[in-house]
Amino acid sequence: MNTISDKDLVEILPPEAVTLRFERSSFGTRFAAQLVDVLITYLSLFALLLAIIFIFRILNEGVFTFVILLSFFIRSPYYIFTELVWNGQTIGKKLSKICVVSADGKTLTPYQVVVRNLMKEAEVFFPISMLFGVISSSGTVKLICFFWLCVTLIYPLRSKYNQRLGDVIAGTFVVEKPKIVFLEDVAERRTKRAQFFDFDPEQLDSYGRFELQTLEDIIRAPEKTKEARERKLRAAKAIHKKIGYPHTIPLGKEILFLEDFYVQQRQYLESKNLFGDLRENKHYKE
Amino acid sequence: MGDMLLENDDIALRSMRFRKEREAQWKSLHELIDQAERKGIHSFSYEQANELSKNYRMALNSLSIARSTIMDKALLQYLERLCSRAYLVVHAPPKSLAGIIWKQLVFGLPQAARDNWKYLLFGFFSMLLGVWIGFGLFAQDESWFFTFVGSSLSDGRAPGASQEYLRSTIYDGGDYGHQEAGGFSSFLFSHNARIAIFIFGMGVFAVVPSYLLTFYNGVVLGCFYALFHTNGLGFDIFAWLSIHGVIEISAICVACAGGSILGFAILAPGPKTRKAALQSRGKDATKLAIMAILMLILAAFIEGYLRQWVQDPYWRLGVGWSIGALWLMWIVFSGRNRGTGNEHNI
Repeated sequence: MNTISDKDLVEILPPEAVTLRFERSSFGTRFAAQLVDVLITYLSLFALLLAIIFIFRILNEGVFTFVILLSFFIRSPYYIFTELVWNGQTIGKKLSKICVVSADGKTLTPYQVVVRNLMKEAEVFFPISMLFGVISSSGTVKLICFFWLCVTLIYPLRSKYNQRLGDVIAGTFVVEKPKIVFLEDVAERRTKRAQFFDFDPEQLDSYGRFELQTLEDIIRAPEKTKEARERKLRAAKAIHKKIGYPHTIPLGKEILFLEDFYVQQRQYLESKNLFGDLRENKHYKE
Repeated sequence: MGDMLLENDDIALRSMRFRKEREAQWKSLHELIDQAERKGIHSFSYEQANELSKNYRMALNSLSIARSTIMDKALLQYLERLCSRAYLVVHAPPKSLAGIIWKQLVFGLPQAARDNWKYLLFGFFSMLLGVWIGFGLFAQDESWFFTFVGSSLSDGRAPGASQEYLRSTIYDGGDYGHQEAGGFSSFLFSHNARIAIFIFGMGVFAVVPSYLLTFYNGVVLGCFYALFHTNGLGFDIFAWLSIHGVIEISAICVACAGGSILGFAILAPGPKTRKAALQSRGKDATKLAIMAILMLILAAFIEGYLRQWVQDPYWRLGVGWSIGALWLMWIVFSGRNRGTGNEHNI
């Protein structure tokens, strides 16, 4: 289980008044999603142009005009409609498993969707089309556009939650769609067998919640490789030393030692916690 | 080392009991989420919808207990993600797309225009002022034309061009081989769309550039008009411009109004912070921007197709100004009957 640092989380408060934490999506993921969407919109436009040519057997300026006008119908509206219909997900976002959420914790409004996608037009597409000469423009204009493009591309890298300018104005975050994983409780392993090791309260005073959860990860890790097993042995040794356990651990019983310690430590911390003695980590005494 | 046996049905850990008691409901919520995402929330029966709402609140309740008391990290993370996913399903926008579009066309857009009539009026004012000054400058000295109108836009329409040439740019049938009508109009469209986007965007940088650019566009227009006017084609160019220009030039003024709303939100945010002011005023600004885009698209179709079909100047005048009048009626009269409409979002 990978751990997520707090700065990667965006918190929103829904009307139900329990804060929810989403993982913000990385710049790379968003870029990939964007790439897919750009491909989809432009390929469909191209396909349409081909269809017109082959079905009606005409190719003149009128057709080109029609397609250029249509590109305005396809580009922004594509993002706006898909994000509205699929609750903040375009096809590209669906594939890269990210979605748009409203920062105020309420339902994503059509206004927010429209603003963030219209701003995308001004942030990215417009300067690019100016820069690469789709629309003719002078050197000074190109320079300004290049500068503007740099600003809009660097901004999300520097901003607090990887927000683009459009996200800031619309009040939206782009987050990873949470993947629900239901894992067994490692304490269950212990309850299926007899208890071998017994720890007294003084020994259980050494650690807090953080260490307990680290231990949970260590126990949960499958013992496929030699290193994984080594890690468990090292952990058992470290705990044995830290809590000053009087007896030596019998050979081959290290895993049982870890599991027994985990269950009793958890039970101990949970009952402490119940009466307000919150031990976040081993430094709780300070 | 004792050999105490812990019975399965007598679990000593609070967190394990907590999990056992609620697990069924969490799993049921997970299944409902999956169904909602696969088949849509519309596939739900009344009982299922009830179940979803009930289980969602239950899961949130579990989450808030778990955060403060549960030490099991896997369980905590499961609950965090379950609730977040459920949130996305429960708080999905329920409105229909057609409904949104219809409501905006009837209420949102015209109401935004009415609420901001001062900005709109000022946009039109700076455009007309520009036209007046452009016309005046050209009358003084024709070389002003080259200062304001770029060569790419004029397509040979410049001081010194013959009257026949100028006439041929307005009506079909000259043998001067102008750019194909459609291509030129799409170029003009992208040109005007660009101007509108610029004018809107410039508003953020403290209003003035927005009005200045609108004014400058007026000057170009004034020069253009004056060129034809001095060649005795004043009425014809007016008709030629009218058929699409009424709506197109209005669109630029609307974009100017939208941009300056943003600018004023930054310049004079009132009691709010600048960011908050920008966010709240941004709604009207966006509505005006959308209105401008719709108008530009309409203008482009008129310019690309209708103008080639309609050659008679009187018809051109008639069509152009009727569309203008319809537009004005739309923003003045549409959606007056039901509140301000601003309490709803776009």
